[in-house]
Amino acid sequence: MRAPLETAGAPPSFGIQLARYAGLLALSGVPLMLLWSNPYWVNVLAYTYLFAALAAAWNIIGGFGGQFSLGHGVFFAIGSYSVARLYLDLGLTPWLGIFPAAVLATVVALLISWPTFRLRGPFFAIATMAINEACFALANYSDKLTGGPRGILIPFRAGLSNMIFIERWKYALLMFAFMIVVVLITVWLRRARLGHYLLAVRADEDAARAAGIDVLKVKLQGMALSAFLTGIGGGLFAMYVRVLDPPTLFSLPDIGVKFALISLIGGIGTIIGPVVGALLIVPLENFLRGTLGGDIPGGHLIILGAILVAASLFLKRGIVGAVLATMRRARRRA
Amino acid sequence: MTEHFLSVEQATRRFAGLVAVDQVSFALDRGEILSLIGPNGAGKTTLFNLITGQLKVSDGAIMFRNERIDALPPHARAQRGMGRTFQIAKPLTGLSTRENVMVGAFLRHRAYTDAYDRASAVLDEVGLAARAEVPAAELTLSERRRLEVARALALEPELILLDEVMAGLNATEVTQVIDLIHRLNARGVTFLVIEHNLKVVRAFSRRVIVLDHGAKIAEGSAADVLSDPEVIRAYLGKKHVGHA
Repeated sequence: MRAPLETAGAPPSFGIQLARYAGLLALSGVPLMLLWSNPYWVNVLAYTYLFAALAAAWNIIGGFGGQFSLGHGVFFAIGSYSVARLYLDLGLTPWLGIFPAAVLATVVALLISWPTFRLRGPFFAIATMAINEACFALANYSDKLTGGPRGILIPFRAGLSNMIFIERWKYALLMFAFMIVVVLITVWLRRARLGHYLLAVRADEDAARAAGIDVLKVKLQGMALSAFLTGIGGGLFAMYVRVLDPPTLFSLPDIGVKFALISLIGGIGTIIGPVVGALLIVPLENFLRGTLGGDIPGGHLIILGAILVAASLFLKRGIVGAVLATMRRARRRA
Repeated sequence: MTEHFLSVEQATRRFAGLVAVDQVSFALDRGEILSLIGPNGAGKTTLFNLITGQLKVSDGAIMFRNERIDALPPHARAQRGMGRTFQIAKPLTGLSTRENVMVGAFLRHRAYTDAYDRASAVLDEVGLAARAEVPAAELTLSERRRLEVARALALEPELILLDEVMAGLNATEVTQVIDLIHRLNARGVTFLVIEHNLKVVRAFSRRVIVLDHGAKIAEGSAADVLSDPEVIRAYLGKKHVGHA
């Protein structure tokens, strides 16, 4: 008899729901504690944490909201360029600069989304990808703002207030902290009205409307939060690499599509899926690029593509989804 | 014109050449349970969609609580106190049964714990409390129908539109749903119900409207309407008239 077991009375608290992920988050910090003095690995980890955060940000609208955006590279690039320009032209510390940068990314995201959210499914994905490419061209031509194809170089002036560090592990720690913040926000979102509404919109727009949900407004709110966090991520990326050129920022395989790919493999629409996906994909990609890069240029993309195909065939809800389903089956048998 | 809780005035909906709903007028008073019957393809669900906003009227007007609502989007009508179920149940997959109901409850309760408690109460009411933590996609047909009712109920609506919620339920389950409707009605909830089972219609509805080919062909007490020759003809064909 399962009846009395399943009906817990009181709603689970925020702390309890958070505790479910605390262990995994702490675990993801262990490699940094062990490898902090190894420059190669620290670099890989900095990217891993940054992309975990960015995939988790994408997951808000792409996973929870079911709006498969391939245009997040635009918000990422706006964050990068804005932080760099504010720092270089006005001397604004990146610690503050990330906020106006994120706001600008949000505004642009809303302007792009307003018309494109009327499109459904693959048409939305294609439209956002096209916008990414259009913005790529635009960035190439806007010499004064972006430095055009030559890009922007941020000079190396180490200092905490410049967000430029000699020790690379400090960057990795910064990215780790950012990842924690984004995951905390998703845990909150999953409990909040907006999170429930986004999931309802993904499941069935007609049923969502009948439940009093303004579908367009909810999508825009989800997109705003997602783009804001993506803009911050872009700003942190700018201060880490310090060389910003359009082919890097608007790259689909390395930026825009990668957010989606990491979420898909880790577990789209789950809280911890993007983190799991990033811990797997980013180091693997670095390894493949290193071993295949010389002999078979682009070979790592073929292998990542094959993994994505396999994941979408056999792990429809990603690694986290598969684990959760197995746990549920085991619990039912018990 | 007298003020009604809901009034549909000359509502018409055309799809290209087809007139799915043809100048239908009726009114519903607070606290009523009104049944909408008619053969397949008569336009019952289309009329529902016009009232709840899933479709817009081509002509005519719909008034709800003294406000003209026929231009409003569906979510705005839900916010004004309309809850509905769908003929083909739409469980929100990816969410648990409780979370499905919470999606409804969030309309009137912003805080997580309030929406949670409200959803628990509604799940109790429709007999789904034991299934609260199960993914909605795993519910059986009859549970899915109760979930539809639960999500509508969680909106705390003043008017509920039920689209064939009894279809596919066994006799015990039908009785449970009828009891639920009576309980809610006693608390002041008004119902507009599409139902095929005429026995069920007799059980809870004093007044019945019959649609055929998009037009209203009869309106009145359940007993009168169900013995009306034109209604029998619409349902059973010409040769049965007179035998009833």
